[in-house]
Amino acid sequence: MSIDLNLQAAATKYKNKQKVKDRFISALIGVFAIVWIFPIVWTIWTSLRPYKDVRANGVFSMPKSLNLQNYADAISRMELPLYFANTFAITIPAVFLTLFFGSLIAFVVSRYSFKWNVSLLLLFTAGNLLPAQLVFIPVFKMYITLGKALGIPRLLYDSPWGVVLIHVAFQMGFATFVLSSYMKTVPKEISESAMVDGASVYVHYTKVMLPLLRPALASLAVLMTTWIYNDFFWALVLMSTDSKRPITSALGRLQGEFVTDYNLLAAGAAIAALPTLIVFFVLRKQFVSGLTLGSTKG
Amino acid sequence: MSDLKSGISRRSVLKGAAIGGIGIAAGGSLLAGCGSKATGPLAYGARSVDTGPTAQNEALIAAYTAKTENEVNYNATESNAFQNNLSQYLQGTPDDTFEWMAGYRMQFFAEQGLLADLTPVWDTIGDQYDESYKIASTGLDGKQYFVPKSWYPWGLHFRKSMFADLGLNADNVTNWDEYLKMLDGMKKKGLVGFAAGDKGGWEAMGTFDILNARINGYQFHVDLLAGREKWTDAKVTEVFRHWEMLVPYMNPNVLDLEWDGAMQLLLQKKAGSMLMGSWFGGNFKEQSEADYADLSIMPFPEINPAYGRDTVDAPIDGWCVAANGTNNEGGADFLAFAGDIEGVNATLAAKDAKGALIPMTSANKGQDTSSYDAFQKEQLAVMAEAKYITQFLDRDTRPDFAGPVVGPAIQSWFKNPKDVAKIQDTLQAQWDALPPLA
Amino acid sequence: MSSTTKNKTKVPRRRAFSKADRTTLSAFVGIPLFFHLLLVWIPAVLTILLSFTYWSGISISRIRWAGLANYKNIFFDTPAFWEALKNNTVWLGWFGLIATPIGILLAYQIDRQIRGHKFYETAYYLPVVLSLAVTGIIWNFLLRPDGFVNGLLGRDIDNAISFFGNYDINLYVILTIASWRHIGYIMLLYLAGLKSVDAALREASALDGATEWQTFKKVVFPSMKPVNVIVIVITMIESLRAFDIVYIIYGSSAGFPILGTLVFQNIAGEGASMKGAAYATILFVLSIGPIIAYLRTTFKSDVQ
Repeated sequence: MSIDLNLQAAATKYKNKQKVKDRFISALIGVFAIVWIFPIVWTIWTSLRPYKDVRANGVFSMPKSLNLQNYADAISRMELPLYFANTFAITIPAVFLTLFFGSLIAFVVSRYSFKWNVSLLLLFTAGNLLPAQLVFIPVFKMYITLGKALGIPRLLYDSPWGVVLIHVAFQMGFATFVLSSYMKTVPKEISESAMVDGASVYVHYTKVMLPLLRPALASLAVLMTTWIYNDFFWALVLMSTDSKRPITSALGRLQGEFVTDYNLLAAGAAIAALPTLIVFFVLRKQFVSGLTLGSTKG
Repeated sequence: MSDLKSGISRRSVLKGAAIGGIGIAAGGSLLAGCGSKATGPLAYGARSVDTGPTAQNEALIAAYTAKTENEVNYNATESNAFQNNLSQYLQGTPDDTFEWMAGYRMQFFAEQGLLADLTPVWDTIGDQYDESYKIASTGLDGKQYFVPKSWYPWGLHFRKSMFADLGLNADNVTNWDEYLKMLDGMKKKGLVGFAAGDKGGWEAMGTFDILNARINGYQFHVDLLAGREKWTDAKVTEVFRHWEMLVPYMNPNVLDLEWDGAMQLLLQKKAGSMLMGSWFGGNFKEQSEADYADLSIMPFPEINPAYGRDTVDAPIDGWCVAANGTNNEGGADFLAFAGDIEGVNATLAAKDAKGALIPMTSANKGQDTSSYDAFQKEQLAVMAEAKYITQFLDRDTRPDFAGPVVGPAIQSWFKNPKDVAKIQDTLQAQWDALPPLA
Repeated sequence: MSSTTKNKTKVPRRRAFSKADRTTLSAFVGIPLFFHLLLVWIPAVLTILLSFTYWSGISISRIRWAGLANYKNIFFDTPAFWEALKNNTVWLGWFGLIATPIGILLAYQIDRQIRGHKFYETAYYLPVVLSLAVTGIIWNFLLRPDGFVNGLLGRDIDNAISFFGNYDINLYVILTIASWRHIGYIMLLYLAGLKSVDAALREASALDGATEWQTFKKVVFPSMKPVNVIVIVITMIESLRAFDIVYIIYGSSAGFPILGTLVFQNIAGEGASMKGAAYATILFVLSIGPIIAYLRTTFKSDVQ
């Protein structure tokens, strides 16, 4: 009995020690968390101050006024609606096609046993990890050659579709992998009974599997939207008309154009970041579960 | 070993733009058919998003559209992005006419077949330009591919008020010793004597160019850039030796400032002089008329009496027509207008947001230089003194050498000025290792 | 939770697929595969082939065989390459020894649900959600010669601390910015993986009187082997592929060489040559190891 008590006492001592340690750790992490978000906070702060105020009184002066004027200016002077429209024109089709194609491959690979199932998975996943610059020149040449051959020079180069397709080609691998992992958790019996009922492959996919995939598709959609939205490389090199670029690629130009007007630039950057931030805060659960599916198996 | 073709060898004397403001009467054109064809809609590619140049372009396009009723689609891209993308742009979906630079940078693309032959345009407007402009617009095959628009000299910019406060007179700073004394005086007053920014990797090339031309002469400079002289030559060492004498008078964060950072130093009266191209006059004007009136330029001082101040970097900006554009004829027609005095005057009439005229030094002989303001007249004076014009290092030598090799080499020299020998060796080794142009 | 594709309760295969089914299957696999091969694998192979040629990227008719000349040029005549390799190596070391471990430890603490963990999770992950273009702008505000930090230190534009231009410190400045993002990313990945650790194991360890650190080291960490491999692979690949941050801050200037920017400079712009393709190939070769490790770990059970 006393031995138990001793053990318990020892355990409690450890627990208390741990509690102290925990408070310290929590405080440390807390301080760091504040430092962590400081750059973002500073940018938002900068965006709320009028340029004239800062020019006259300096960056650290107490603000005479805080308003959203910079945001209004940013929207009108930086042509943000146009760039956002371009962004959506690229992001929405890209996400849709990526999920669609990914689900097709994942479906075949996880529901049917073919010899080349694993090879396909390997191929797609490895493709996702290749550096983007490895493919740039041939893709560019392909785009303009095809365009010239068909008489539509802007078919793929300098067109949102060219950017959409390259995103789809690269991200397909991740989508396939995540969806096939997820599909493995769907009981075989469902598919078996469908096949016994004489369902065609097409019906199997559309009526049986697709509805079950909704949660995974939702999570994946959130992740993909964020990634594709945030990309700026492909639109930069595959488009030559600045007014067709998405907001992230356009930020580079805006930084050059408004280089000294920090407050305006801060507002522009804040607006550009807004969609992903909204998605993150509202759909956080999907975000995390998307990554969960992607990082672990089963 | 690589050797550039004769297209950029010895340049002939350029004096025209410096002297001849009086030629064809402004506003009149003796040439028929300049920009008066109906060629359908065309696209114009601008490589700047700054307010001044944009206003000028809009004025030019408005005048052209009014005259010919051809619709012009204006497409502006930020300068760096434009340059990085140019090769893809020209191969893919270029605008019909676009802004570009003279020199080897233009000749390279002409040689690859990406630019349209503009000799017919030169046949109509050629006599409005001096011979050297025509040479600068000529490709390696002897045809013209470029129509010049404007130029600016590289020189020492300073503020008249600061010179007055320091008791300095620009006319008395004509050689190296006097210049160093001036810098010394500025340093004692807590100023940055020689403002410099080289974060972009190209800004300091101007300093190299002028030091090389002053110390070793125009011919050596041109030969060096064409590969006919060696970077390991003792003459190049001399250039760096002089440059090192300027380092104590520079701001310590040279590699953290781009050209506009150095300009800010001058604008805020923290720096006494800055070697730069004169394009930023508009920025000073935006700040205030007083600032612009205070801005002045003088030629970089003489170093070697054998050469005096006979060379100046004066890059020429202008336009080309893209061979892959959809409306080559329209592009050429537009340039025939833009290069003609009519187009030039339309451009010059443009006003900025405050309603003031935007300064520009046109390549066209017909520009009425009597209306030049003081700063522009000083630029002309700098040009007038020079016998030889160079286009700037990154326009005068191979592009795969200038940006990737010379840029970082100069930057690493800033990091460690004592490393000169090693830097010279790597420069020469990398020039030797350049692959043949394909 | 079967993780194999072999079907245990197999119905005898009536696998004579109907014609319609065969068409569907072919389309389901063929169309995505077509795009993936056409836009990823074929261009990759082409670029590798092009690295053995002389070409400016413009007229296909002008491609000439170069053998190993581009590689020789890179290895023997381009000091920037070795500088870039050094920078990438430091990047890898920093990420591997500092950033990733911080991410892992953060994940562990947050998973333990210490006070405020919800806020922390959001705060640390926020940078990951931002586009790198926005990240570059944000940090430029802070570190420019006329930015926040220099203002705080009371330094003017002419004597400001040169965070991006001082080559003794700028690598670490860039790494800090990159870590700002990387740590949050690793943290979330690890958090996801931690959910799969058997809670009972942890409780048992705590009851045994082990401290949290010992629990982590001896119980949790070893049981997370697949996630550990993934995290290591991602760390390596991100260090090799790094490009966006440097491009945002330095543009296309060649001042801060890393492999990613060397590729870009030599492929885009006026001085383009197939040296760029060679750089890309080198980048690819360096990535093969991590990629294979990733594939192995992830698909181990499938490959049988």
